[in-house]
Amino acid sequence: MKGRGYAGKILRLDLPEARCSVEDLEEGEARLFLGGKGLGARMLYGNLEPRVDPLSGGNILIFATSPLTGTIAPTGNRFCVVTKSPLTGTFLDSHCGGSFGVGLKEAGFDAIAISGAAEELSLLVLEDGKASLVGARNLEGMTTLETEKRVKEELGAGFKVACIGPAGERGALIAGIFSDMRAAGRGGAGAVMGSKRLKAIAARGKERVRVSDPEAFEKAAWRAHRMVRMHEVTARHLPTYGSDNILETINETGALPTRNFQEGTFESASEISGAEWRKELWVRDSGCMMCPISCAKVAKVEGGPSGASFTEGPDYESIWALGALCGVSDKGAIARANLLCDLYGIDTISAGNAVAYAMECRERGLLKEEEVGNLDLRFGNGGAMLGLVEKVSRGEGLGKLLQSGVKRASEKLCEEKGDRAFLRLAMHVKGLELPGYDPRAAQGMGLGYATSDRGGCHLRGYTAGQELLGYGGGSNPRRTEGKARLVIERQNEKAVVDSSGICFYAFFAMTLKEVRAMLEAATGFEYGSERNLEKVGERIYNLTRLFNVREGFRSEDDALPERLLGEPMPSGPAKGMVANLGPMLKEYYRLRGWDEEGVPTKEKLEELGLA
Amino acid sequence: MGTGKEVRLSKVFDPGDGRAVVVAADHGMMLGPIQGVVDLEKTLRRVVEGKPDAVLLSPGQAENAYHLFKGRRAPALLVRVDWTNTFRDRTYTLPVRETFFGAVSDPRHALKLGAQAAVTYLFLGYEDEEREARHLSLVSEYAAECARVELPLIVEPIPLGPRVTKANSAELVAIAARVAVEAGADALKVPYTGDPESFSKVVRAAAGVPVLVLGGYRALSRRDMLEVIVETIEVGGSGVVFGRNVVQSQDPASVLKDLRAIVHEGRPVREVLAGGAAPKRAKLEAQPERCSGCLICVSICSFRHEGVRDASAGRLRVEGAWPGPYELAVCTQCGNCVGACPNGALSANPSLGCIDWEEAKCDLCGACAEACPQGVVKLQGSKVKICDLCGGAPECVDWCPRGALAVVPG
Repeated sequence: MKGRGYAGKILRLDLPEARCSVEDLEEGEARLFLGGKGLGARMLYGNLEPRVDPLSGGNILIFATSPLTGTIAPTGNRFCVVTKSPLTGTFLDSHCGGSFGVGLKEAGFDAIAISGAAEELSLLVLEDGKASLVGARNLEGMTTLETEKRVKEELGAGFKVACIGPAGERGALIAGIFSDMRAAGRGGAGAVMGSKRLKAIAARGKERVRVSDPEAFEKAAWRAHRMVRMHEVTARHLPTYGSDNILETINETGALPTRNFQEGTFESASEISGAEWRKELWVRDSGCMMCPISCAKVAKVEGGPSGASFTEGPDYESIWALGALCGVSDKGAIARANLLCDLYGIDTISAGNAVAYAMECRERGLLKEEEVGNLDLRFGNGGAMLGLVEKVSRGEGLGKLLQSGVKRASEKLCEEKGDRAFLRLAMHVKGLELPGYDPRAAQGMGLGYATSDRGGCHLRGYTAGQELLGYGGGSNPRRTEGKARLVIERQNEKAVVDSSGICFYAFFAMTLKEVRAMLEAATGFEYGSERNLEKVGERIYNLTRLFNVREGFRSEDDALPERLLGEPMPSGPAKGMVANLGPMLKEYYRLRGWDEEGVPTKEKLEELGLA
Repeated sequence: MGTGKEVRLSKVFDPGDGRAVVVAADHGMMLGPIQGVVDLEKTLRRVVEGKPDAVLLSPGQAENAYHLFKGRRAPALLVRVDWTNTFRDRTYTLPVRETFFGAVSDPRHALKLGAQAAVTYLFLGYEDEEREARHLSLVSEYAAECARVELPLIVEPIPLGPRVTKANSAELVAIAARVAVEAGADALKVPYTGDPESFSKVVRAAAGVPVLVLGGYRALSRRDMLEVIVETIEVGGSGVVFGRNVVQSQDPASVLKDLRAIVHEGRPVREVLAGGAAPKRAKLEAQPERCSGCLICVSICSFRHEGVRDASAGRLRVEGAWPGPYELAVCTQCGNCVGACPNGALSANPSLGCIDWEEAKCDLCGACAEACPQGVVKLQGSKVKICDLCGGAPECVDWCPRGALAVVPG
């Protein structure tokens, strides 16, 4: 497959002996599963022992690139981490921009799969088709930013680095994997990397990604870039105000989860809008490799830890989670908390949820003053939010409990104190903390959370574009009719995007037609139609479902927190609404060709070539 | 079509080539006082100087600005007869929650205002099919009335609503176009479907009724904007209805000049962009403060010259790491490399001013690369790599999404 958009090789590394085997990427697999998420899912499903402990040597940590990674496709830089999530126990794919994906591919690999665990903290060096493992005790306890810098200094120019922070090293379940100050943040991939005693991976190589038909590829890529440059969202909203351009609108629609999902509107939303960040704290736009959007911003931080004076972003989800969800509108505190999460290597969405959870427990008197350290844990207290984020980042005090995510924290508290109220306040699906759209105000998003293959995630069935932002003429967010179909389309489409090597944001301006044109010119495969490409997405989504079914997940796990199903939204445009999941889920299974337990039927699997 | 309609349409579509350059300036009714239409009179004066074939206005503004449409050389007046809230995105004070539409005028009124045609939307794709039906009956009423008074009806069919997906939107434009034609449209104004192949299906679906492409969101680059038009013209499109690309431009007359050159004169984009002259001496100019470090410029440079994306092989240079800033260096044609070459292998190109490399005379000593103060002359393998301005239209400039690179006279 080399020369056809792929590097052509897959590396398998079995620790601690650092036994490497390199095998060819099979053409048939590449055609059926593309790369990234699809390829990773195929490798994980085929090689992982069912029910394995995610933090044991038996788990496999996969880094996968895609056919468009390293090409001139808009945002053609992505890599993804695929593993069994220690946070949810489900399939996990976590995606990241920056430039590491390009480094990995130029080092000669479409994907690497790591099993076992090293004897001591190590650094994996990939260069020109070869892999070597070196001791990295000098990197122990180092922040992500320092680690990247040090590794690049030690190894020389041109290396791209992905690493974990101290949180990943100590196995915090909300730890991510970081690169170029960007994160494969969700689901605890950082803890898996830490359990393998792998601090960082550095990659570079002399190979360049070659495409099958350069002339056709340039034409297709130009068209795709042009669409991004000509679309209002990708040419104006995202470049100017980052992903936070939507915060005020989400608030106006009553869908901005506030104070741990107790409300859907935040009275201080305008203070943390993209326009305010632009005015006060952002100093520069920061572009991932080949990105014509530059949604990423650089914010200045006063008095940051370890002398750091800038933070990447924050993006919408981070501003919301560390802001509105905690009732906080202090941008300085949000920026510092965001920086702490990035440096110690934890997911900002999970961290914000953990803090909001603790705040509500404290306000309701479930946690006593002495149990929360010396923090005045009230909603709206930016200093307390920052203080607790620091504890979670370091795994100290209450942070030690919360770094395992709100599901485990709530279960432990419930067990210790015998009070089920602890469970009711934990906002997650399958253990993954919820993102910044309240399903009571956008019914489709609720179905998306419930059926996401990695738990409570907005990036699997993103219906908010239509339900809340008015894209494509909009879709009534209060209605449940038609949402199953909408969610399925978004999930399948997103699986294609996540397996192609481009960013979801570029896809705002594009359709599968442009993606297909680039994929076909890169790989030489003929998909024939967009529908056939959607089929690839459907295949991938069914495969990740099969993974979760094998792990024991069934229909009852495709649920939402009690609060969203039972507590009507108290105020705002969605006042009185609850998430009406039941009927949507039923229709969803039917349209998916899954049985009532949520298991793909034999006919469906045969149709998709997965039987 | 009756004779009245035919006469009026010929004021919009040039009878010689059957094509039209139309400027839409009816935004105020849909979006409020957006940039470019605040002082509409002033904008329209500048628009008229650019000699469009027609200008689309709301009924109220048509009444205010009627004097600009008097005279034999004045553009034709088109009047919008309906309204919708759907284009008010979230940046407006009252963002759209759910799409609605309604009549604000009628063909007789438009005719009285001096219009040569009436313009209306037709939305297709609602979850609520009853609303689709209501819109179609409104359009049909307009069509019937237009037929009675011999006023051409231009319909703008747009797929909109929850049933419109990325997968079906191009197909839906074709379907909506056909529905509009069946309902009695005399011309269509449609969104671009993204590529010539799907647009040709729209043209085919329109069955001989002329199809104009609309501009939508303002393009950041003139090349992007003109290319889209060429793609539609090549498959049978009849011209453009451009709004923000014209009325929000610093120089509407120059945009219109280019639009006419493409639509009526059929000239290639490159030639239009070059102002019709042969390639002149030029050089690149960098504005590093606009750079976000995305490497698109060096990537396309290497892809164009080497066939692979290899930032290190770019004939320009971006350096820097998070959190920036980034250094962006281009060939300034300072000539140091020419002076440093012991073999006379380098020389200034007489027409463009960039530096030519003669492979036969080069012994790959590397003195040129060493002498380059910008670090953009590179000796790699058996090649000296120097910016050749891509023959006069540098790709890096066109691909940069942030305007950090420009071509300036050399």
